[in-house]
Amino acid sequence: MKDKTFIAILAIIMVIGIGVTAGLMIHGYNLWKEISIVEMIANWG
Amino acid sequence: MDKKKLAKQMGVIALVIVLFAGLDIGIYRLFIKRVISHHSPGMQKMSVEVGNYVPFTGSENVFSVKDADKLEGDIPVIDGAAALLPVYAGFVESIYPESSVIYNGETYDAASAMHYTNTRGAYKDIVDGNADIIICAAPSDEQLQYAKDNGVELELVPVGSDAFVFIVNAGNPVDNITIDQIRGIYSGKITNWKELGGKNIPIAAMRRNKNSGSQTALEKIMGDIPIKPDYTALFGSPIGFSFRYYVTGMLGEGGVKILTINGIEPTPETIADGSYPVAGNIYAVYRKGETNENVKKAIDFMLSPQGQKIVEQSGYIPLSQ
Repeated sequence: MKDKTFIAILAIIMVIGIGVTAGLMIHGYNLWKEISIVEMIANWG
Repeated sequence: MDKKKLAKQMGVIALVIVLFAGLDIGIYRLFIKRVISHHSPGMQKMSVEVGNYVPFTGSENVFSVKDADKLEGDIPVIDGAAALLPVYAGFVESIYPESSVIYNGETYDAASAMHYTNTRGAYKDIVDGNADIIICAAPSDEQLQYAKDNGVELELVPVGSDAFVFIVNAGNPVDNITIDQIRGIYSGKITNWKELGGKNIPIAAMRRNKNSGSQTALEKIMGDIPIKPDYTALFGSPIGFSFRYYVTGMLGEGGVKILTINGIEPTPETIADGSYPVAGNIYAVYRKGETNENVKKAIDFMLSPQGQKIVEQSGYIPLSQ
């Protein structure tokens, strides 16, 4: 594999990986904001 | 040579993929899986649906009296705490003109005489002049300071009471806690459930936003003892706090257990006779020097036998008990 191809593949994987991670964190944060303390305890033994 | 290089490149690509996958699975398990069931149909039912407490909609959750005198003229804007929504919805349905309440299906219109902005928003709104009466637990020192800084003095009239309760997951074997143990947990001195006779699991001491009604109630229990941030909260079994009716009535108590305090269960009787150690007043709060006569009329209604009946029917403890 040429170096340029390798770097391009790596860059695409990094962009997808960072995007998915950021998306999950934003989604998680939004869920936590909505849940009340009572609901949290009911869910979380 | 090319094969070796290719293998190395493939190895790097695989490692990066595995690292991202591991990170994302970790985030999912730690942060998301624990709250995702909140969005299941069962948990949705537990949420406080403001729409269930809208006056003049025939809601079975709103208790009102039919023969009370309606306010006329300058109708005071009323607001309050989430936990007390049933109480002031009942007051509004009893004495406010129906046309003064404008609910658009999700929120109250800015022009509506009834708002719902929760304790923090309500205390700000009464000081800023955006509300004329709020129904809340006692204000925090910060909220009192905000009023003072803005040259507003607040009058607090008790209209009922309720218990401040500590809750754990229904599967937690601990049933009772003492005031000293509560102070120990929130000051960071007690960190494991085994110290309270439970399992060998860290305690996740949950708290609420500053200036929320229940966080202020916790601060009053703690007195001068500082509340220590719990950085390990994600990994333990939680303890939290709220007001009794918010847990038992509005949220249906699903999946949580209320702890007795010093062996006393929070019942209407133990709250009324003072034996439950952390009961607190519900206040109607207004600005001192208020010139709108309807504010006084509304509060007089809240204190009347009819108003106190609404407090009781809504699940709280009336003053007369």
